[in-house]
Amino acid sequence: MHENNGIWVSTEDLNKEESFLQSAEKEFSIENIDQTEGNWAASRRDFLKLMGFGLGAATIAASCEIPVKRAIPYVSKPDEIVPGVANYFATSFVNGGDYCAVLVKTREGRPIKIEGNSLSNVTGGGTSARAQAMVLSLYDTKRIKSAGKIADGGINDQSWADFDKEVKAKLAAGGNVRIITNTIISPTAKKALAEFAAKYPNSRVVTYDPVSSAALLAANEQSFGIRAIPGYRFDAAEVIVSFGADFLGTWISPVEYARAYAEKRRVKSAKDNMSRHYQVESHMSLTGSNADNRIMVKPSEQGAAICTLYNEIASLTGGAGIGGPKVNDKAAGALKKVAKELVAARGKSLVVSGSNNVSEQVIVNKINDMLGNVNTTVDFSHPSYQRQGDEREMMRLVEEMNAGQVAVAIAWGANPAYELPNSTKFAEAFAKVGTRVSFSGILDETTLLCTHSAPANHLLESWGDAEPRKGHFSLIQPTIAPLFNTRQAEHSLLEWADSANLNREDEQPYYQYLKSHWAGDLFATQNKYSTPAAFWDMSLHDGIFEQAPSLVTAGFKGTVDASGVTKPSSSEVEISFYETVNIGGGQYAHNPWLQEMPDPITRTVWGNYLSVPVEWDGVNNINGWKNLNDGDTVEVDINGQKQTCVVVKTFGQMPGTVSIALGGGRQSGGSGVGFGVNVNPWLPVQGGLVQYHTGASVSGKTGEEKHFSCVQDHHTLGVTAMGKEEGKVINADEKSLGYKGFQGSLTDRSIIFHANFKELPKLEKDMADFHAHSSHLNEQTLYPDNVEYFGTGIKWGMYIDLNSCIGCGACQVACLSENNVPVVGKKEVARHHEMTWLRIDRYFYGDLENPKVVYQPMMCQHCDNAPCENVCPVNATNHSMEGINQMAYNRCIGTRYCANNCPYKVRRFNWLDYTTADTWPANEERVFWVEGDEKPFYADNLVRMVMNPDVTVRSRGVIEKCSLCVQRIQEGKLTAKQESRAIMDNDVRTACQTACPTGAIVFGNTNNPDSAVNKARKNAGALAYQVLEEINVRPVVQYSAKIHNSNEELVS
Amino acid sequence: MSQAVAPVRHVLIEGNKSYHNITEDLCSPTEKAPTREWIIAFSLSAAFLALYVFAIVWTVWKGIGEWGSNRTINWAWDITNFVWWIGIGHAGTLISAILLLFRQRWRTGVNRAAEAMTIFAVICAGQFPIFHMGRVWLAFFIFPFPNTRGPLWTNFNSPLLWDVFAISTYFSVSLLFWYTGLVPDLATVRDRATGFRRKMYELFSFGWTGSAKHWQRWEALSLVLAGISTPLVLSVHTIVSFDFATSVIPGWHTTIFPPYFVAGAIFSGFAMVQTLMVLTRKVLKLEEYITINHIESMNKVIVLTGTIVGVAYLTELFIAWYSGYVYEQFAFYNRVFGVYWWAYFGMMFCNVVSPQLFWSRKIRRSIWWTFFLSIVVNIGMWFERFVIIATTLARDYLPSSWSYYSPTWVEISIFTGTMGLFFTLYLIFTRVAPVVAVAEIKSILKVAGDQYVGPKAQKQHDHGHSAAPVRNEDQNAG
Repeated sequence: MHENNGIWVSTEDLNKEESFLQSAEKEFSIENIDQTEGNWAASRRDFLKLMGFGLGAATIAASCEIPVKRAIPYVSKPDEIVPGVANYFATSFVNGGDYCAVLVKTREGRPIKIEGNSLSNVTGGGTSARAQAMVLSLYDTKRIKSAGKIADGGINDQSWADFDKEVKAKLAAGGNVRIITNTIISPTAKKALAEFAAKYPNSRVVTYDPVSSAALLAANEQSFGIRAIPGYRFDAAEVIVSFGADFLGTWISPVEYARAYAEKRRVKSAKDNMSRHYQVESHMSLTGSNADNRIMVKPSEQGAAICTLYNEIASLTGGAGIGGPKVNDKAAGALKKVAKELVAARGKSLVVSGSNNVSEQVIVNKINDMLGNVNTTVDFSHPSYQRQGDEREMMRLVEEMNAGQVAVAIAWGANPAYELPNSTKFAEAFAKVGTRVSFSGILDETTLLCTHSAPANHLLESWGDAEPRKGHFSLIQPTIAPLFNTRQAEHSLLEWADSANLNREDEQPYYQYLKSHWAGDLFATQNKYSTPAAFWDMSLHDGIFEQAPSLVTAGFKGTVDASGVTKPSSSEVEISFYETVNIGGGQYAHNPWLQEMPDPITRTVWGNYLSVPVEWDGVNNINGWKNLNDGDTVEVDINGQKQTCVVVKTFGQMPGTVSIALGGGRQSGGSGVGFGVNVNPWLPVQGGLVQYHTGASVSGKTGEEKHFSCVQDHHTLGVTAMGKEEGKVINADEKSLGYKGFQGSLTDRSIIFHANFKELPKLEKDMADFHAHSSHLNEQTLYPDNVEYFGTGIKWGMYIDLNSCIGCGACQVACLSENNVPVVGKKEVARHHEMTWLRIDRYFYGDLENPKVVYQPMMCQHCDNAPCENVCPVNATNHSMEGINQMAYNRCIGTRYCANNCPYKVRRFNWLDYTTADTWPANEERVFWVEGDEKPFYADNLVRMVMNPDVTVRSRGVIEKCSLCVQRIQEGKLTAKQESRAIMDNDVRTACQTACPTGAIVFGNTNNPDSAVNKARKNAGALAYQVLEEINVRPVVQYSAKIHNSNEELVS
Repeated sequence: MSQAVAPVRHVLIEGNKSYHNITEDLCSPTEKAPTREWIIAFSLSAAFLALYVFAIVWTVWKGIGEWGSNRTINWAWDITNFVWWIGIGHAGTLISAILLLFRQRWRTGVNRAAEAMTIFAVICAGQFPIFHMGRVWLAFFIFPFPNTRGPLWTNFNSPLLWDVFAISTYFSVSLLFWYTGLVPDLATVRDRATGFRRKMYELFSFGWTGSAKHWQRWEALSLVLAGISTPLVLSVHTIVSFDFATSVIPGWHTTIFPPYFVAGAIFSGFAMVQTLMVLTRKVLKLEEYITINHIESMNKVIVLTGTIVGVAYLTELFIAWYSGYVYEQFAFYNRVFGVYWWAYFGMMFCNVVSPQLFWSRKIRRSIWWTFFLSIVVNIGMWFERFVIIATTLARDYLPSSWSYYSPTWVEISIFTGTMGLFFTLYLIFTRVAPVVAVAEIKSILKVAGDQYVGPKAQKQHDHGHSAAPVRNEDQNAG
């Protein structure tokens, strides 16, 4: 009972009245609310609660994305896999002669990203766009799923046992066996081939390369007695002359060369030493675009130019000339000066040529010999094996097949039905071979002509090795079990050869085969490891094994002869054919990442375009040749073979010449089918060697391409030309835009700063003035500074050296791969809907007819005073405490004001359901589809395996952009935290940074005075700048001025 | 509200109307069966409205990628149309609010229709900011509502958020103002109606009885709303101009935008009022209420605001030159001579040159010229917004990203579709409510000394006005 203990609240309490005591018993004094009105009547509060719940539930249901299905946990977790933690495996990217030492990032057993392997002395941790993109080809929906007989463009599946029995029977029947390959740089594969040849003595391997270097090999054999490509030392050369060799983009070993080349280009003060690079060519190649001087010669004049240089050098060094054909006067004058410089830099210069003419290559060898470059910059101690093919053997094979002398033909990695100039002849002859086997993983042109398909594993499912350079071995290990019922080509060959060394009982027979080769032959060549097991484990871990080099000195033997040199053609228009960094000779045409990577020069995607020169009318207009415009179609007639090409106006294309890339017009095999034209049938053959230029006649405009896909509409930053009205050199660029050079409205933009190396002190002063002026302007603000926000802790920043950047585009593909950036397809790119977070802007400047080029990788600049952030109505984009401009995709409603207000135009909007993330499929017909597929590209679960699980896949209607690889930053911070230390440079490296072959991109914490990014900026001094510094958006990405080392005497 | 008008001023209502005539003339369109013209016009408008719905569903279903905008030009027809429609609305507010405060009594002839136009134009304008969103289903994120997402709130720094408030305020005040004016007129219609119609009008007129207290409160409310609306005339388009003025893009980032946008808005709004009035007075036979004098007065506003806009265009060019700032200079050179030069010259011709014809009294008082030029001005004002938005974005800081824009059928359908939406609403309006404010027009019928009843009525009235020289001229001009 209630006791009041002397404390009372009222007189009723004090008096212990009955009614009070009753009410005090209850917690709530009012009668039971629920029971006051009937049994169960909803109160106002109930109503509000229910309504609130209902509204909330409806809201949540309306705004939640549908969860991803098919997430199956491990029943027993593999030891090496920790969900959410990536594993890296060292392997190699090898495709024919293309090579790159790489690390493969796998997540939960799926390879998703390629990184460079910095232990390699060949590629030094750099990568190429092709290497970056290989991970996507693993998940190609068009891959052949099983072995079998080929009929009606499809495969009739067979078990491997049945298949082997059938093929073996054919092989055993006697008759000649021919294996058609591109260059094979794998020693173990060669061993397997040898076993095969031992079993079938009437077999032979026929090797050619899609883009031939046969003349170079032949010439080296003639001149030095070594049929290999020497190690070119671009880092040791002070003067480099390249006759049409695109060594930074496509020629032999571009990653290796680019890395070495950049060493001599990264100048920051007048005291530094900078190499000078002359490029002799007709079309603007990636290498030519980086050259200090381009000497323009017609494609047929390359030989004449080589002879001219030879004669000049000979006369300077007291040797005898060889005569030879004459090059145009302007080039002859230039080459005279070049010769002087080369001779002055004897032993420290380098002359290379991309010619496929043996005489010309021999003359080049002799030039290097006269200059004392052999054994210095032309190094035969480390010859490259990356090109071994000779198309003359292929031509012989065609004859053999035609004569019915071949019983079994095996295509391994090669695609002659597309790549050969006489592919129709090949197809006819090939049909006469009884049994035609293909190892190709896709139904390419050659495989379609075959009778049997023995699909090989993808590289990322394979064991193997590579010897790209003498004594430099690189391992290939699988990063995923074969996705389909495929088998390694080497395994198939050994199987058919009944090899005793192949342990068929083993789960991975070729692995054992490879291991025993390494543990045996290669183990013996080293003494670092005492047991074969240790040697194998470490080699597999590193991916690389390098033997001690043996010094080889070569001497020039033989004679030079100008009679075999190509005679300048008299045809009115000459056309040259070139390989592109992304598609190569067509081998990479089925990779959507590479197809959608803009060509560095023309900035076009999805197809090959006919580059035509631009002309200045002297008054107002920069016109295309024949008044052709971008996207016009023309008919090109070469020896009566006509094809329709799409025109792109290209600066730096020599007047009287046009050019078009190889690799277009694929007929079958995947996503590249139907884009561009196949130019291979146009390639002329001289002395059995394929030539990459000829005469052509080009019609006027015949129509327009429906979807002309070029990501850059304006290409120049103030090119100059002689003005007829003014009588002097004027800014033709601005005049043609109608601005008449008005106060430098185009050239005075602070986007690119450039100068000649000689004028570096002046540039430094000018830029210091510019910085002072900009900071003066930026101080005129009403708003208090926000610098103190970032004064402590971490502040991320980036530095991009435009002098090191060669524009190769590896970073761009790496970015796609890392950040799940969708491919949108040709039509969408034509509408400027590309999604690339990182693009490489390419600007022409200088002389209009022979301009210079500067590349500028452009991504989100993460402005400290970001204009995108204050205009977003919903705060979807905002600033992190570490200075990152971040996107909250879930919050974005897609007003796109941020993209409008971005001075750098780096924000990308998901115009359509590019990733097929929406729940209904009715809106998918305009997103990217591979021709003939049943569903959009990204709707396929196979393709989706390439997605990086650390990065959100963005849905339709949101903005996205570069995040500075925030997922890597988080990972790096966690690593540092776990190890209880401050974050260091190597903890966080962005995808673009690791991909770059020349180290042009540096990223790090700018609050750390010792970070690489800070040092690089400090080192660059006044040459470091922010793009559009004076508009006070304060980007954290800094660039350095572009410095070229032009020989001004050569200009005009 | 009744004030004496000096007999020397010409009448505001012609045709010797009695109060009954006015009621009869203005209420009858709501009572008769629709005319053939109305049915044709309505069917056409409804067809365009259907097209609008189709194109919007298409956009939401498939994505903004169905439009022609791209990575460089992220806004184009959408925001152009938005600004155009919102500008058109301004005339209604100006007429109803500012002219009321300034006691411009001629406004009563046109204010009802102009206010209706404002509301319908704002409805059309409001479609674009909503449906240009990539994820329109999350449009409610722009409202600062309490939520469970932590400290997540709208961004009060963003001009787009200011827009949300500016436009919603504008819409609600305009709607209130318009409806307040409608209440006594709806009661008039009610009193004439029977059956179901009477019940409906009873409901919508809020039981208006016409008592002195009602009128007193009604007048007080009108004045208060006029007071609220007046700053809105200036503020709404000022805030819309901030969408551009607060950016960093050369050509957008200019301090002249607020006054320039307000002048342009009034300019285009009056042009739209003219377009509608000329049609309405003809079709509904209201020539005696919406007189040629109204048209002339509005043409005077057009020539004034058109000239202000012209000065603003030239000022922009001067400032670009005077700034010495390369980006600014380029932006304006590009406007005049760049890829969209035709849009600039279209704008200059339509907005600056063509209204100057209204200096001529003859043209000013010509129905046909007025109608023609009002359309020209509206085209010109559309070009102005297109020039500001698309031309500027197409050539901004980095030449590498320059691009070109042309609309797709979806965008064209949405724009023409909003015309359908507008006219559908307007045509319904002409059928359900008096298009001229009956109560207010009655207040200006009687001029001091005029006698409307009794034996002297006719004579005195005629004596006062019909012989006035002004009227003769009117007739000549008409």
